[in-house]
Amino acid sequence: MEFLYAIFSFLYQFGDAFAFLVLSACGLAVIFGMMGVINLAHGEFILCGAYVSTSVAHMGLPLPVAIAAGSLAAGIAGMIVELVVIRPLYKRPLDTIVATWGISMIVTQGTLIVLGTTMAGSGTPLGSFVVGDYSYSTYRVVLMGMALATLAALWLMFTKTRFGILARATIQVPHVAEALGVNTNLVYSLTFGLGAALAGLAGGLYAPTMTLVPTMGAAFMVEAFVTVVVGGADIFLGTAPAAVVLGLIKATLTSWQGQLAGQIGMLIAVIIVIRILPRGISGKILKERA
Amino acid sequence: MLDSSRRASILRLVEGPQTMGRGPGFWTGFGLVLLGAIAYPFFADSYDVGNNVYFFNWLFMAMGLSLIWGYGGALSFGQTAFFGVAGYSYGVLTINLGDAYGLTLLSLVLAVGISALFAAILGYFLFFGRISGVFLGIVTLSVTLVLERFMAQTAGPQWAIGAARLNGFNGMGAMPSLTIPWFGGDITLYPDVALYYVTLALLVVVYLGLRILVNSRFGNVIVAIRENPMRAEMLGYDIRKYQLATFVIGSALAGLSGVLYTSWGNYITPASMGMTAASLPIVWVAVGGRTDLTTTMIGTLAVLVIFQSLTIHGSQYALIVMGALLVITVLVAPKGIVIALVDLFRRRRSRQEGGA
Amino acid sequence: MAILETRQLNKRFGGLHVTGNVDFALQPGEMHCLIGPNGAGKSTFFKLILGEHLSDSGQILYDGADITRAKPFERIRRGISVKFQVPGIFRELSTRQNLTIALQHHVSPQVLSEEIDRLLEFLKLADDRDKQAGNLSHGQKQWLEIGMAVALKPQLLLLDEPTAGMTPDETYATGAMLQDLNRAGMTVLAVEHDMAFVRQIAHQVTVLHLGKIFAQGTIDEIVADERVAAIYLGESDA
Repeated sequence: MEFLYAIFSFLYQFGDAFAFLVLSACGLAVIFGMMGVINLAHGEFILCGAYVSTSVAHMGLPLPVAIAAGSLAAGIAGMIVELVVIRPLYKRPLDTIVATWGISMIVTQGTLIVLGTTMAGSGTPLGSFVVGDYSYSTYRVVLMGMALATLAALWLMFTKTRFGILARATIQVPHVAEALGVNTNLVYSLTFGLGAALAGLAGGLYAPTMTLVPTMGAAFMVEAFVTVVVGGADIFLGTAPAAVVLGLIKATLTSWQGQLAGQIGMLIAVIIVIRILPRGISGKILKERA
Repeated sequence: MLDSSRRASILRLVEGPQTMGRGPGFWTGFGLVLLGAIAYPFFADSYDVGNNVYFFNWLFMAMGLSLIWGYGGALSFGQTAFFGVAGYSYGVLTINLGDAYGLTLLSLVLAVGISALFAAILGYFLFFGRISGVFLGIVTLSVTLVLERFMAQTAGPQWAIGAARLNGFNGMGAMPSLTIPWFGGDITLYPDVALYYVTLALLVVVYLGLRILVNSRFGNVIVAIRENPMRAEMLGYDIRKYQLATFVIGSALAGLSGVLYTSWGNYITPASMGMTAASLPIVWVAVGGRTDLTTTMIGTLAVLVIFQSLTIHGSQYALIVMGALLVITVLVAPKGIVIALVDLFRRRRSRQEGGA
Repeated sequence: MAILETRQLNKRFGGLHVTGNVDFALQPGEMHCLIGPNGAGKSTFFKLILGEHLSDSGQILYDGADITRAKPFERIRRGISVKFQVPGIFRELSTRQNLTIALQHHVSPQVLSEEIDRLLEFLKLADDRDKQAGNLSHGQKQWLEIGMAVALKPQLLLLDEPTAGMTPDETYATGAMLQDLNRAGMTVLAVEHDMAFVRQIAHQVTVLHLGKIFAQGTIDEIVADERVAAIYLGESDA
């Protein structure tokens, strides 16, 4: 029995790490995979989702509605940022990363000025359950489910919907898509909005578990970065397997030495992986298949 | 005989295609600015002089970033990691070794060496793994963010190296300042006129040295790698070694900034490696014009002065101004505002000459 | 002995053989053109020789030494040089600096400046020495890159469509320049579509088709070969 409890505990740790990696990274990965842009304001879209959803929850609306509102708000903010800052820079992807960093600074400090150093949270819902000697948060199990549901929804969106197919066509052969009458600007705008909305979703989902401060976005950045670096440009062939591998490393080190060791270990693993697989896991898989 | 002619040809590299400022006009201006900087302590309160050394401290990191990012084209967004590693190393070393017999100078050299070694190890994996573009940016940024988080949790008494407590989030203090052994008593470099001159001299040496470096054969290769890495490799250069060397030199300069800053304020905190701290060097270097050492220096000083005057007046808007400055620069003058102004001036002058 | 030889060289991408068991030998002093329809594997074959791609199996020998696994810059140091299809120049640097970077390797500082001037004359770029390379005309960019490749004083020069985008006059002048270099001892291997150019320079022609060597011979033999005509016609039908 002790052994089974230990296995459950590890699986819980792994699931928790996996969910955090997937949810932190998928917005960044969608934008990077589809547009070649690394959005350094990613953390601030997460912040936006967290703050909006918490405010809506404080108004007394149910949590799922609040989270959806947070995600939507981040998505709209994303489309505005795309229009004003990203669109003029399509030909200069390396400049986009710098410009989005500027936006990140403005938003973080702006939030601090307008809303103060911290915002009252809404508390983690759903209570806990006990397995063996330890109790576990039910909400975190829901988050694991949400991570899988998000991946499934993205897969359906990119393979089954008109938007997904047009988006992939635009990314692969922009000239042809344009010649066929696709409004490529709209596709870029929606893609960036989708990435921002996913970031907002992560913010909304994790808001009940965290202290809400203007710099909270940075807490997601390392996980999001390493997942995208290992995963490369493809969200299904890259991000998801990367999150599995990194989740295992992080869960192992976390249960052995604590949260920080998990994070450091993950980063070191990534730096070593770069030496072996420069284009990330999906680069490797795609190269084999190309 | 040969030696002196070789020395002369090396010195000639202080001017060349990789640096914008050249000719008698530029060097006259350089001399006047330098004279002004030397004369400044005679006209100012020594307390202010010591305080303003603060601005010089950052210029080494800015020039290092210009070398790596502007000249070499590698997006190193985590230079603050080397700043912090060197700053903490200096603290640990001096608290343990003390400040007698010029041991603080040894600590300075060792601390910069440690940050260079750290850069060499990290750079080996990155450049020999042929990572490039945005990936390099986000990995280096991750490194500095993780280091910040690591240092922030070292509050407990178990986190001590010898006599030096790391002190977690609150930061490490009470390390001795740099001290120069001298006849009839050591000169301690408190924030004061002596420190001002030492830092200024170091700045001039590093600036001229980097000018020589970027105009040398080595400099030719690193700008070639920025422009077209494949072509550079197909001319027979092992580009990984050049990228690594550039990264180590630039990061050692960030380390030098870290030591000078720590010695100046007798203080270093984990926040010096955080997200905000990491973003500021990007603003300084991008705004001035990262592809040239001189415009980098001018831009960095200008932005630092704006930032400092805003924060001194208690304004919380300083960081917003920095962010906006960065966005506007990228959108309007991607090469940097100082470079854009120089281009504009040259174009206008050549039009006038053409018209005359 | 052949200066460059490939033995059973193979490269697959997924299930597709882009280079299938290629046995190829190039004699020193030869000017050799590789032709073939689009997708014949010419570019991949070049990339294998240069080390941009590594082969799945087979061997590449240069001057008798095995370079199958050597890094690109190591191959260049052995005496191979290349001109890419899209001009591979340093766009923001001056013409003069582009050549400096190519020459500084193996030319002593004392004579570097003379060598650059000589090369600028040779490339007819002397008047544009201080121009940003990105602002040169297309033909001039092609010449500049040929100049950079030649500056390494290679034994073997690889050219990927060296005359793409050139006027007929420029193409002819390029051919004449390559013939001069060949007379001075340089072996040349070029991928080329322009048949007039192939006729001007090639001693030998190899036709690649679907990743395999399809035919080999002089230009007259190749032109007379009905099977070769058929694969080109097949392409234009498609």
